[in-house]
Amino acid sequence: MLAKIEKNPLLTLALVTVLFLIYGYATSLPKITDFIIFCIFVIGFDLLYGHMGQLSFGHMLYLGAGAYGCSMFANWIYPDPFISILVGIALGAALAALLGTVVVKTSAAAFALLNLALNEVGAYLVLSPLHEWTGGEDGLSLFFNSYGWIDFNDATFRFYFCLGSLLLVTFIVLRLVRSPYGILLKSIKENETRVKFLGYNTFMYKYVTFIISGAIVGFAGALTSVNLAYCNTSLIAPSRNVEVIFAALMGGAGKVMGAIVGGTAFMTISNYLASYIVRWEMFLGVALLAFAFWFRKGIWGYARKL
Amino acid sequence: MINFIQSILYGLTIGGILYIISIGLSLTFGAMGIVNFAHGLIYAVGAYALYTVATLLGANFLVGAIAAVVVSIPLAYLIERFIIRRLYGQSIDYAIIATYAVLLIGADALKWFFGASPLPISDPIGELWYFGGLQMPAYRVIIIALSIAVFVGLSLFFKKTLVGKIVVAGLQDREAVRSLGIRVERYFAIVFIIGSALAALGGVLYAPLSTLDPYMGFEIIILCFAVVIVGGMGNLKGTAVAAFGLGLVHSLTAVYLVSSAADAAVYVVMAVVLIFRPIEASA
Repeated sequence: MLAKIEKNPLLTLALVTVLFLIYGYATSLPKITDFIIFCIFVIGFDLLYGHMGQLSFGHMLYLGAGAYGCSMFANWIYPDPFISILVGIALGAALAALLGTVVVKTSAAAFALLNLALNEVGAYLVLSPLHEWTGGEDGLSLFFNSYGWIDFNDATFRFYFCLGSLLLVTFIVLRLVRSPYGILLKSIKENETRVKFLGYNTFMYKYVTFIISGAIVGFAGALTSVNLAYCNTSLIAPSRNVEVIFAALMGGAGKVMGAIVGGTAFMTISNYLASYIVRWEMFLGVALLAFAFWFRKGIWGYARKL
Repeated sequence: MINFIQSILYGLTIGGILYIISIGLSLTFGAMGIVNFAHGLIYAVGAYALYTVATLLGANFLVGAIAAVVVSIPLAYLIERFIIRRLYGQSIDYAIIATYAVLLIGADALKWFFGASPLPISDPIGELWYFGGLQMPAYRVIIIALSIAVFVGLSLFFKKTLVGKIVVAGLQDREAVRSLGIRVERYFAIVFIIGSALAALGGVLYAPLSTLDPYMGFEIIILCFAVVIVGGMGNLKGTAVAAFGLGLVHSLTAVYLVSSAADAAVYVVMAVVLIFRPIEASA
Protein backbone atom coordinates (compact mmCIF):
# COMPACT_ATOMS: atom_id res chain seq x y z
CA MET A 1 0.00 0.00 0.00
CA LEU A 2 2.78 2.41 0.92
CA ALA A 3 4.42 1.81 -2.43
CA LYS A 4 1.17 2.89 -4.13
CA ILE A 5 0.99 6.07 -2.09
CA GLU A 6 4.63 6.73 -2.92
CA LYS A 7 3.84 6.71 -6.65
CA ASN A 8 1.49 9.67 -6.35
CA PRO A 9 3.29 12.90 -5.34
CA LEU A 10 0.15 14.52 -3.91
CA LEU A 11 -0.69 11.53 -1.73
CA THR A 12 2.92 11.45 -0.55
CA LEU A 13 2.82 15.11 0.43
CA ALA A 14 -0.53 14.65 2.18
CA LEU A 15 0.81 11.68 4.13
CA VAL A 16 3.90 13.63 5.19
CA THR A 17 1.78 16.61 6.26
CA VAL A 18 -0.69 14.56 8.29
CA LEU A 19 2.02 12.54 10.04
CA PHE A 20 4.06 15.62 10.95
CA LEU A 21 0.95 17.45 12.22
CA ILE A 22 0.04 14.48 14.42
CA TYR A 23 3.61 14.11 15.63
CA GLY A 24 3.95 17.84 16.24
CA TYR A 25 0.76 18.27 18.22
CA ALA A 26 1.27 15.00 20.10
CA THR A 27 4.75 15.99 21.30
CA SER A 28 5.95 19.56 20.91
CA LEU A 29 5.90 21.84 17.88
CA PRO A 30 9.34 23.49 18.37
CA LYS A 31 11.03 20.10 18.61
CA ILE A 32 9.31 18.69 15.54
CA THR A 33 10.35 21.82 13.63
CA ASP A 34 13.93 20.64 14.20
CA PHE A 35 13.03 17.23 12.84
CA ILE A 36 11.45 18.73 9.72
CA ILE A 37 14.49 20.88 8.98
CA PHE A 38 16.78 17.90 9.43
CA CYS A 39 14.64 15.99 6.91
CA ILE A 40 15.28 18.75 4.35
CA PHE A 41 19.02 18.34 5.02
CA VAL A 42 18.77 14.57 4.51
CA ILE A 43 16.85 15.00 1.24
CA GLY A 44 19.58 17.33 -0.06
CA PHE A 45 22.34 14.95 1.02
CA ASP A 46 20.56 11.90 -0.35
CA LEU A 47 20.26 13.50 -3.77
CA LEU A 48 24.00 12.94 -4.03
CA TYR A 49 24.32 9.71 -2.08
CA GLY A 50 21.16 7.84 -2.94
CA HIS A 51 20.40 9.13 -6.40
CA MET A 52 23.83 9.93 -7.81
CA GLY A 53 25.81 7.31 -5.87
CA GLN A 54 28.49 9.58 -4.36
CA LEU A 55 29.02 9.66 -0.62
CA SER A 56 29.97 13.11 0.59
CA PHE A 57 31.70 13.24 3.94
CA GLY A 58 31.66 17.02 4.08
CA HIS A 59 28.09 18.15 3.67
CA MET A 60 28.08 20.11 6.90
CA LEU A 61 29.99 22.69 4.87
CA TYR A 62 26.90 23.51 2.82
CA LEU A 63 24.66 23.42 5.88
CA GLY A 64 27.07 25.88 7.47
CA ALA A 65 27.11 28.03 4.34
CA GLY A 66 23.32 28.30 4.48
CA ALA A 67 23.27 29.00 8.19
CA TYR A 68 26.06 31.58 8.10
CA GLY A 69 24.79 33.16 4.89
CA CYS A 70 21.39 33.66 6.48
CA SER A 71 22.55 34.84 9.88
CA MET A 72 25.36 37.08 8.62
CA PHE A 73 22.95 38.83 6.26
CA ALA A 74 20.39 39.26 9.04
CA ASN A 75 23.03 40.43 11.48
CA TRP A 76 25.09 42.80 9.38
CA ILE A 77 22.88 43.97 6.53
CA TYR A 78 19.14 43.75 7.04
CA PRO A 79 17.09 41.55 9.41
CA ASP A 80 14.47 40.48 6.89
CA PRO A 81 13.75 36.74 7.33
CA PHE A 82 12.90 35.96 3.71
CA ILE A 83 15.85 37.72 2.12
CA SER A 84 18.13 36.17 4.74
CA ILE A 85 16.91 32.67 3.95
CA LEU A 86 17.31 33.34 0.23
CA VAL A 87 20.87 34.54 0.86
CA GLY A 88 21.52 31.30 2.76
CA ILE A 89 20.24 29.21 -0.16
CA ALA A 90 22.22 31.29 -2.63
CA LEU A 91 25.42 30.94 -0.61
CA GLY A 92 24.96 27.16 -0.36
CA ALA A 93 24.39 26.93 -4.11
CA ALA A 94 27.23 29.32 -4.96
CA LEU A 95 29.69 27.44 -2.79
CA ALA A 96 28.58 24.16 -4.38
CA ALA A 97 28.96 25.71 -7.84
CA LEU A 98 32.45 26.94 -6.99
CA LEU A 99 33.76 23.79 -5.29
CA GLY A 100 31.75 21.46 -7.52
CA THR A 101 33.91 22.30 -10.52
CA VAL A 102 36.68 20.27 -8.89
CA VAL A 103 34.83 18.02 -6.43
CA VAL A 104 32.47 16.48 -9.00
CA LYS A 105 35.36 15.32 -11.16
CA THR A 106 36.46 12.91 -8.44
CA SER A 107 34.56 9.84 -7.36
CA ALA A 108 34.25 7.21 -4.62
CA ALA A 109 36.84 7.57 -1.87
CA ALA A 110 38.34 10.74 -3.37
CA PHE A 111 34.91 12.39 -3.45
CA ALA A 112 34.24 11.54 0.19
CA LEU A 113 37.66 12.64 1.42
CA LEU A 114 37.89 15.78 -0.70
CA ASN A 115 34.55 16.94 0.69
CA LEU A 116 35.80 16.18 4.18
CA ALA A 117 38.99 18.19 3.62
CA LEU A 118 37.03 21.17 2.26
CA ASN A 119 34.64 20.98 5.20
CA GLU A 120 37.58 21.07 7.63
CA VAL A 121 39.01 24.11 5.88
CA GLY A 122 35.59 25.81 5.87
CA ALA A 123 35.09 25.15 9.58
CA TYR A 124 38.51 26.61 10.27
CA LEU A 125 37.80 29.72 8.18
CA VAL A 126 34.56 30.36 10.05
CA LEU A 127 36.18 29.82 13.43
CA SER A 128 39.34 31.82 13.04
CA PRO A 129 40.15 34.18 10.14
CA LEU A 130 36.54 35.27 9.59
CA HIS A 131 35.59 35.46 13.27
CA GLU A 132 34.89 39.18 13.12
CA TRP A 133 31.98 38.52 10.77
CA THR A 134 30.94 35.04 11.86
CA GLY A 135 31.25 35.59 15.59
CA GLY A 136 33.90 32.87 15.95
CA GLU A 137 33.20 30.49 18.78
CA ASP A 138 30.45 32.68 20.26
CA GLY A 139 28.39 32.58 17.08
CA LEU A 140 25.70 35.05 16.11
CA SER A 141 22.25 35.70 17.52
CA LEU A 142 19.37 36.45 15.18
CA PHE A 143 16.49 38.89 15.41
CA PHE A 144 14.04 39.27 12.56
CA ASN A 145 11.53 41.88 11.52
CA SER A 146 7.95 40.66 11.71
CA TYR A 147 5.19 41.55 9.27
CA GLY A 148 1.76 41.12 10.84
CA TRP A 149 1.15 37.41 11.30
CA ILE A 150 4.39 36.55 9.53
CA ASP A 151 6.46 36.40 12.66
CA PHE A 152 9.56 34.22 12.83
CA ASN A 153 9.79 34.74 16.58
CA ASP A 154 6.65 32.65 16.93
CA ALA A 155 7.32 28.90 17.26
CA THR A 156 4.00 27.85 15.72
CA PHE A 157 4.59 30.03 12.66
CA ARG A 158 8.08 28.56 12.29
CA PHE A 159 6.61 25.05 12.44
CA TYR A 160 4.18 25.73 9.61
CA PHE A 161 6.76 27.62 7.59
CA CYS A 162 9.24 24.74 7.86
CA LEU A 163 6.58 22.15 7.12
CA GLY A 164 5.66 24.14 4.00
CA SER A 165 9.35 24.28 3.06
CA LEU A 166 9.69 20.52 3.48
CA LEU A 167 6.66 19.92 1.26
CA LEU A 168 8.07 22.26 -1.37
CA VAL A 169 11.49 20.60 -1.34
CA THR A 170 9.93 17.11 -1.37
CA PHE A 171 7.75 18.04 -4.32
CA ILE A 172 10.63 19.54 -6.31
CA VAL A 173 12.94 16.60 -5.66
CA LEU A 174 10.19 14.06 -6.43
CA ARG A 175 9.56 15.77 -9.76
CA LEU A 176 13.29 15.97 -10.39
CA VAL A 177 14.15 12.32 -9.77
CA ARG A 178 11.18 11.08 -11.78
CA SER A 179 11.97 13.27 -14.78
CA PRO A 180 14.22 12.05 -17.62
CA TYR A 181 16.98 13.97 -15.85
CA GLY A 182 16.52 11.89 -12.70
CA ILE A 183 16.48 8.66 -14.65
CA LEU A 184 19.74 9.63 -16.30
CA LEU A 185 21.15 10.41 -12.87
CA LYS A 186 20.28 6.91 -11.73
CA SER A 187 21.93 5.48 -14.84
CA ILE A 188 25.08 7.43 -13.99
CA LYS A 189 24.98 5.83 -10.55
CA GLU A 190 24.74 2.37 -12.08
CA ASN A 191 27.33 2.77 -14.81
CA GLU A 192 28.79 6.14 -15.64
CA THR A 193 31.04 4.91 -18.45
CA ARG A 194 28.10 3.52 -20.37
CA VAL A 195 26.12 6.74 -20.05
CA LYS A 196 29.18 8.64 -21.26
CA PHE A 197 29.43 6.41 -24.33
CA LEU A 198 25.79 7.17 -25.13
CA GLY A 199 26.94 10.72 -25.69
CA TYR A 200 25.74 12.40 -22.51
CA ASN A 201 27.89 14.93 -20.74
CA THR A 202 27.83 13.15 -17.39
CA PHE A 203 29.93 15.82 -15.69
CA MET A 204 27.27 18.44 -16.38
CA TYR A 205 24.50 16.28 -14.93
CA LYS A 206 26.52 15.53 -11.81
CA TYR A 207 27.60 19.16 -11.47
CA VAL A 208 24.02 20.46 -11.65
CA THR A 209 22.93 17.85 -9.12
CA PHE A 210 25.74 18.94 -6.81
CA ILE A 211 24.55 22.55 -7.01
CA ILE A 212 20.92 21.58 -6.37
CA SER A 213 22.05 19.53 -3.39
CA GLY A 214 24.09 22.51 -2.13
CA ALA A 215 21.05 24.77 -2.46
CA ILE A 216 18.73 22.39 -0.61
CA VAL A 217 21.25 21.79 2.15
CA GLY A 218 21.87 25.55 2.33
CA PHE A 219 18.11 26.01 2.72
CA ALA A 220 18.13 23.53 5.61
CA GLY A 221 21.06 25.41 7.16
CA ALA A 222 19.28 28.77 6.86
CA LEU A 223 16.14 27.33 8.45
CA THR A 224 18.19 25.77 11.25
CA SER A 225 19.70 29.12 12.18
CA VAL A 226 16.30 30.81 11.91
CA ASN A 227 14.69 28.17 14.11
CA LEU A 228 17.42 28.27 16.74
CA ALA A 229 17.69 32.08 16.48
CA TYR A 230 21.45 31.68 16.55
CA CYS A 231 24.24 30.30 14.46
CA ASN A 232 27.48 28.86 15.78
CA THR A 233 30.30 26.57 14.68
CA SER A 234 28.37 23.41 15.56
CA LEU A 235 26.39 24.04 12.36
CA ILE A 236 29.54 23.56 10.27
CA ALA A 237 31.40 20.97 12.38
CA PRO A 238 32.72 18.16 10.12
CA SER A 239 32.25 15.62 12.91
CA ARG A 240 28.47 15.95 12.59
CA ASN A 241 28.47 14.60 9.04
CA VAL A 242 27.88 11.13 10.39
CA GLU A 243 24.39 12.17 11.51
CA VAL A 244 23.12 12.86 8.03
CA ILE A 245 24.83 9.79 6.54
CA PHE A 246 23.27 7.65 9.22
CA ALA A 247 19.82 9.17 8.69
CA ALA A 248 19.97 8.59 4.94
CA LEU A 249 21.15 5.01 5.40
CA MET A 250 18.59 4.28 8.09
CA GLY A 251 15.65 5.57 6.10
CA GLY A 252 16.78 3.98 2.87
CA ALA A 253 19.05 5.74 0.39
CA GLY A 254 17.77 6.64 -3.05
CA LYS A 255 14.16 7.28 -2.07
CA VAL A 256 12.83 10.72 -1.17
CA MET A 257 10.42 9.22 1.36
CA GLY A 258 13.32 7.21 2.75
CA ALA A 259 15.14 10.46 3.52
CA ILE A 260 12.12 11.82 5.40
CA VAL A 261 11.59 8.58 7.33
CA GLY A 262 15.30 8.33 8.13
CA GLY A 263 15.56 11.98 9.19
CA THR A 264 12.58 11.68 11.51
CA ALA A 265 13.72 8.33 12.91
CA PHE A 266 17.24 9.61 13.55
CA MET A 267 16.03 12.77 15.28
CA THR A 268 13.55 10.77 17.36
CA ILE A 269 16.30 8.42 18.51
CA SER A 270 18.79 11.18 19.24
CA ASN A 271 16.24 13.37 21.05
CA TYR A 272 14.10 10.96 23.00
CA LEU A 273 16.04 7.71 23.17
CA ALA A 274 19.28 9.48 24.10
CA SER A 275 17.83 10.29 27.50
CA TYR A 276 17.23 6.59 28.15
CA ILE A 277 20.30 5.11 26.49
CA VAL A 278 23.41 6.29 28.28
CA ARG A 279 25.89 4.93 25.76
CA TRP A 280 24.22 6.79 22.97
CA GLU A 281 27.16 6.97 20.57
CA MET A 282 27.87 3.29 20.96
CA PHE A 283 24.25 2.54 20.12
CA LEU A 284 24.54 4.77 17.07
CA GLY A 285 27.70 2.99 15.95
CA VAL A 286 26.22 -0.49 16.35
CA ALA A 287 23.07 0.56 14.50
CA LEU A 288 25.21 2.09 11.75
CA LEU A 289 27.08 -1.21 11.40
CA ALA A 290 23.82 -3.13 11.25
CA PHE A 291 22.44 -0.89 8.51
CA ALA A 292 25.71 -1.03 6.56
CA PHE A 293 25.94 -4.83 6.71
CA TRP A 294 22.43 -6.26 6.86
CA PHE A 295 19.70 -3.70 6.26
CA ARG A 296 20.94 -1.78 3.27
CA LYS A 297 17.47 -0.96 2.03
CA GLY A 298 16.70 0.98 5.18
CA ILE A 299 13.40 1.32 7.04
CA TRP A 300 11.49 2.73 4.08
CA GLY A 301 12.92 0.11 1.73
CA TYR A 302 11.30 -2.62 3.82
CA ALA A 303 8.21 -0.70 4.92
CA ARG A 304 7.05 0.30 1.46
CA LYS A 305 6.55 -3.34 0.53
CA LEU A 306 3.90 -3.76 3.25
CA MET B 1 68.04 30.87 11.70
CA ILE B 2 68.18 28.76 14.87
CA ASN B 3 64.45 29.24 15.13
CA PHE B 4 63.93 28.07 11.57
CA ILE B 5 66.01 24.91 12.06
CA GLN B 6 64.19 24.23 15.29
CA SER B 7 60.76 24.48 13.68
CA ILE B 8 61.96 22.16 10.92
CA LEU B 9 63.03 19.63 13.50
CA TYR B 10 59.66 19.96 15.28
CA GLY B 11 57.97 19.39 11.91
CA LEU B 12 60.04 16.27 11.38
CA THR B 13 58.84 14.94 14.74
CA ILE B 14 55.20 15.35 13.72
CA GLY B 15 56.06 13.93 10.31
CA GLY B 16 57.73 10.89 11.84
CA ILE B 17 54.70 10.11 13.97
CA LEU B 18 52.37 10.67 11.01
CA TYR B 19 54.51 8.28 8.98
CA ILE B 20 54.38 5.56 11.60
CA ILE B 21 50.58 5.84 11.85
CA SER B 22 49.88 6.26 8.15
CA ILE B 23 51.82 3.33 6.76
CA GLY B 24 49.18 0.77 7.79
CA LEU B 25 46.41 2.96 6.43
CA SER B 26 48.24 3.39 3.15
CA LEU B 27 48.74 -0.35 2.71
CA THR B 28 45.09 -1.20 3.47
CA PHE B 29 43.93 1.51 1.12
CA GLY B 30 46.32 0.47 -1.63
CA ALA B 31 45.81 -3.27 -1.27
CA MET B 32 42.09 -3.48 -0.74
CA GLY B 33 40.74 -0.07 -1.64
CA ILE B 34 39.25 0.21 1.84
CA VAL B 35 39.09 3.58 3.54
CA ASN B 36 39.70 2.45 7.08
CA PHE B 37 38.56 4.96 9.69
CA ALA B 38 38.95 2.26 12.38
CA HIS B 39 42.71 2.85 12.15
CA GLY B 40 42.14 5.98 14.25
CA LEU B 41 40.63 3.84 16.98
CA ILE B 42 43.74 1.65 17.23
CA TYR B 43 45.86 4.77 17.51
CA ALA B 44 43.71 6.03 20.39
CA VAL B 45 43.68 2.62 22.08
CA GLY B 46 47.48 2.59 21.92
CA ALA B 47 47.66 5.92 23.71
CA TYR B 48 45.16 4.84 26.37
CA ALA B 49 46.96 1.53 26.91
CA LEU B 50 50.09 3.56 27.61
CA TYR B 51 48.13 5.73 30.03
CA THR B 52 46.73 2.69 31.85
CA VAL B 53 50.06 0.95 32.23
CA ALA B 54 52.38 3.91 32.72
CA THR B 55 50.22 6.29 34.77
CA LEU B 56 47.55 4.19 36.47
CA LEU B 57 49.73 1.15 37.17
CA GLY B 58 52.88 3.21 37.59
CA ALA B 59 55.07 1.19 35.25
CA ASN B 60 57.84 2.41 32.98
CA PHE B 61 57.03 4.29 29.71
CA LEU B 62 58.73 1.54 27.72
CA VAL B 63 56.57 -1.14 29.33
CA GLY B 64 53.55 1.01 28.49
CA ALA B 65 54.62 1.23 24.88
CA ILE B 66 55.02 -2.53 24.66
CA ALA B 67 51.61 -3.02 26.30
CA ALA B 68 50.04 -0.69 23.71
CA VAL B 69 51.46 -2.70 20.84
CA VAL B 70 50.44 -5.99 22.47
CA VAL B 71 46.86 -4.78 23.03
CA SER B 72 46.53 -3.49 19.48
CA ILE B 73 47.26 -6.86 17.84
CA PRO B 74 44.15 -8.81 18.97
CA LEU B 75 42.03 -5.70 18.43
CA ALA B 76 43.34 -5.35 14.88
CA TYR B 77 42.71 -9.04 14.29
CA LEU B 78 39.09 -8.71 15.40
CA ILE B 79 38.51 -5.64 13.23
CA GLU B 80 40.08 -7.36 10.22
CA ARG B 81 38.19 -10.60 10.77
CA PHE B 82 34.73 -9.19 11.45
CA ILE B 83 34.62 -5.85 9.68
CA ILE B 84 37.25 -5.37 6.98
CA ARG B 85 37.00 -8.88 5.54
CA ARG B 86 33.28 -8.49 4.94
CA LEU B 87 33.87 -5.34 2.92
CA TYR B 88 36.23 -6.68 0.25
CA GLY B 89 34.92 -6.04 -3.23
CA GLN B 90 31.92 -4.03 -2.06
CA SER B 91 31.01 -0.44 -2.73
CA ILE B 92 33.46 1.87 -1.02
CA ASP B 93 30.66 3.75 0.77
CA TYR B 94 29.89 0.81 3.02
CA ALA B 95 33.57 0.49 3.95
CA ILE B 96 33.65 4.16 4.95
CA ILE B 97 30.41 3.91 6.92
CA ALA B 98 31.23 0.62 8.68
CA THR B 99 34.76 1.56 9.72
CA TYR B 100 33.54 4.98 10.85
CA ALA B 101 30.97 3.19 13.01
CA VAL B 102 33.77 1.14 14.59
CA LEU B 103 35.66 4.35 15.37
CA LEU B 104 32.53 5.81 16.93
CA ILE B 105 31.88 2.73 19.08
CA GLY B 106 35.51 2.64 20.20
CA ALA B 107 35.59 6.33 21.08
CA ASP B 108 32.47 5.94 23.19
CA ALA B 109 33.96 2.91 24.92
CA LEU B 110 37.11 4.90 25.75
CA LYS B 111 34.94 7.68 27.13
CA TRP B 112 33.10 5.13 29.22
CA PHE B 113 36.26 3.72 30.80
CA PHE B 114 38.44 6.80 31.06
CA GLY B 115 36.06 9.77 31.11
CA ALA B 116 35.76 12.58 28.60
CA SER B 117 38.28 15.01 30.06
CA PRO B 118 41.74 15.27 28.48
CA LEU B 119 44.45 13.28 30.21
CA PRO B 120 48.09 14.41 30.19
CA ILE B 121 51.11 12.13 29.87
CA SER B 122 54.48 13.49 30.88
CA ASP B 123 57.55 13.43 28.68
CA PRO B 124 59.30 10.14 29.56
CA ILE B 125 62.83 11.57 29.19
CA GLY B 126 62.34 15.21 30.04
CA GLU B 127 65.84 16.29 29.00
CA LEU B 128 66.98 18.88 26.51
CA TRP B 129 69.83 18.02 24.20
CA TYR B 130 72.05 20.75 22.81
CA PHE B 131 73.49 20.73 19.31
CA GLY B 132 75.61 23.88 19.07
CA GLY B 133 73.17 26.70 19.80
CA LEU B 134 70.23 24.47 19.06
CA GLN B 135 68.21 22.88 21.82
CA MET B 136 65.87 19.99 21.28
CA PRO B 137 63.90 17.84 23.72
CA ALA B 138 65.61 14.46 23.70
CA TYR B 139 62.21 12.81 23.27
CA ARG B 140 61.69 14.48 19.90
CA VAL B 141 65.14 13.48 18.67
CA ILE B 142 64.34 9.89 19.58
CA ILE B 143 61.02 10.04 17.70
CA ILE B 144 62.79 11.18 14.52
CA ALA B 145 65.37 8.41 14.90
CA LEU B 146 62.66 5.84 15.57
CA SER B 147 60.59 6.82 12.54
CA ILE B 148 63.67 6.52 10.33
CA ALA B 149 64.33 3.10 11.87
CA VAL B 150 60.73 2.06 11.11
CA PHE B 151 61.14 3.21 7.52
CA VAL B 152 64.37 1.24 7.07
CA GLY B 153 62.88 -1.79 8.81
CA LEU B 154 59.77 -1.79 6.64
CA SER B 155 61.81 -1.31 3.47
CA LEU B 156 63.91 -4.35 4.38
CA PHE B 157 60.77 -6.30 5.28
CA PHE B 158 59.19 -5.64 1.89
CA LYS B 159 62.41 -6.25 -0.05
CA LYS B 160 63.90 -9.23 1.72
CA THR B 161 61.16 -11.37 3.28
CA LEU B 162 58.78 -13.67 1.42
CA VAL B 163 55.69 -12.20 3.11
CA GLY B 164 56.83 -8.69 2.18
CA LYS B 165 57.51 -9.65 -1.42
CA ILE B 166 54.08 -11.28 -1.77
CA VAL B 167 52.42 -8.16 -0.38
CA VAL B 168 54.32 -5.86 -2.74
CA ALA B 169 53.41 -8.10 -5.67
CA GLY B 170 49.80 -8.16 -4.47
CA LEU B 171 49.73 -4.37 -4.40
CA GLN B 172 50.81 -4.34 -8.05
CA ASP B 173 48.45 -7.01 -9.32
CA ARG B 174 46.28 -8.91 -6.90
CA GLU B 175 44.78 -11.26 -9.48
CA ALA B 176 48.15 -12.35 -10.84
CA VAL B 177 49.40 -13.24 -7.36
CA ARG B 178 46.22 -15.09 -6.58
CA SER B 179 46.51 -17.09 -9.79
CA LEU B 180 49.84 -18.41 -8.52
CA GLY B 181 47.88 -20.17 -5.80
CA ILE B 182 48.80 -17.69 -3.07
CA ARG B 183 45.96 -16.57 -0.82
CA VAL B 184 46.97 -12.97 -1.01
CA GLU B 185 44.24 -11.77 1.37
CA ARG B 186 45.94 -13.66 4.21
CA TYR B 187 49.16 -11.80 3.61
CA PHE B 188 47.29 -8.53 3.50
CA ALA B 189 45.76 -9.46 6.86
CA ILE B 190 49.27 -9.89 8.29
CA VAL B 191 50.25 -6.49 6.96
CA PHE B 192 47.03 -5.03 8.34
CA ILE B 193 48.00 -6.22 11.81
CA ILE B 194 51.58 -4.93 11.48
CA GLY B 195 50.22 -1.57 10.33
CA SER B 196 47.82 -1.47 13.26
CA ALA B 197 50.59 -2.23 15.75
CA LEU B 198 52.50 0.71 14.26
CA ALA B 199 49.40 2.91 14.65
CA ALA B 200 49.28 1.99 18.34
CA LEU B 201 52.99 2.86 18.57
CA GLY B 202 52.17 6.19 16.93
CA GLY B 203 49.55 6.80 19.61
CA VAL B 204 52.15 6.09 22.29
CA LEU B 205 54.69 8.43 20.71
CA TYR B 206 52.23 11.28 20.24
CA ALA B 207 50.72 11.08 23.74
CA PRO B 208 53.46 13.03 25.61
CA LEU B 209 53.38 15.81 22.98
CA SER B 210 49.66 16.37 23.44
CA THR B 211 46.88 15.10 25.71
CA LEU B 212 44.65 12.06 25.44
CA ASP B 213 40.98 12.37 24.77
CA PRO B 214 38.49 9.77 23.55
CA TYR B 215 38.07 11.53 20.21
CA MET B 216 41.79 11.80 19.41
CA GLY B 217 41.36 9.13 16.73
CA PHE B 218 39.03 11.34 14.66
CA GLU B 219 41.54 14.17 14.42
CA ILE B 220 44.57 12.10 13.53
CA ILE B 221 42.82 9.89 10.99
CA ILE B 222 42.02 12.81 8.69
CA LEU B 223 45.63 14.02 8.85
CA CYS B 224 46.68 10.46 8.00
CA PHE B 225 44.32 10.36 5.03
CA ALA B 226 46.03 13.52 3.87
CA VAL B 227 49.39 11.72 4.11
CA VAL B 228 48.08 8.66 2.25
CA ILE B 229 46.54 10.73 -0.51
CA VAL B 230 49.54 13.00 -0.97
CA GLY B 231 51.96 10.07 -0.88
CA GLY B 232 49.97 7.71 -3.05
CA MET B 233 48.13 4.69 -1.70
CA GLY B 234 50.31 1.68 -0.97
CA ASN B 235 53.41 3.62 -1.92
CA LEU B 236 55.98 3.11 0.83
CA LYS B 237 58.42 5.81 -0.18
CA GLY B 238 55.66 8.22 -1.13
CA THR B 239 54.03 7.82 2.27
CA ALA B 240 57.32 8.62 4.01
CA VAL B 241 57.96 11.69 1.86
CA ALA B 242 54.38 12.91 2.29
CA ALA B 243 54.40 12.37 6.05
CA PHE B 244 57.58 14.36 6.61
CA GLY B 245 56.50 16.98 4.06
CA LEU B 246 53.13 17.50 5.71
CA GLY B 247 54.78 17.51 9.13
CA LEU B 248 56.93 20.39 7.90
CA VAL B 249 53.90 22.20 6.44
CA HIS B 250 52.14 21.76 9.78
CA SER B 251 55.02 23.05 11.87
CA LEU B 252 56.07 25.92 9.58
CA THR B 253 52.47 27.15 9.26
CA ALA B 254 52.12 27.09 13.02
CA VAL B 255 55.37 29.01 13.54
CA TYR B 256 55.38 31.49 10.68
CA LEU B 257 51.69 32.03 9.84
CA VAL B 258 48.95 31.37 12.37
CA SER B 259 49.21 28.60 14.92
CA SER B 260 45.56 27.58 14.57
CA ALA B 261 45.92 27.26 10.79
CA ALA B 262 48.32 24.31 10.96
CA ASP B 263 45.70 21.59 10.49
CA ALA B 264 43.84 23.59 7.84
CA ALA B 265 47.09 24.00 5.86
CA VAL B 266 47.49 20.21 5.74
CA TYR B 267 43.89 19.79 4.50
CA VAL B 268 44.51 22.41 1.82
CA VAL B 269 47.51 20.42 0.56
CA MET B 270 45.34 17.29 0.60
CA ALA B 271 42.57 19.01 -1.34
CA VAL B 272 45.01 20.37 -3.93
CA VAL B 273 46.57 16.94 -4.44
CA LEU B 274 43.14 15.33 -4.78
CA ILE B 275 42.21 17.90 -7.39
CA PHE B 276 45.33 17.61 -9.52
CA ARG B 277 46.13 13.93 -9.04
CA PRO B 278 42.84 12.21 -8.32
CA ILE B 279 42.97 8.68 -6.94
CA GLU B 280 41.27 6.01 -9.01
CA ALA B 281 38.09 4.39 -7.82
CA SER B 282 38.79 0.81 -6.92
CA ALA B 283 35.27 -0.35 -6.11
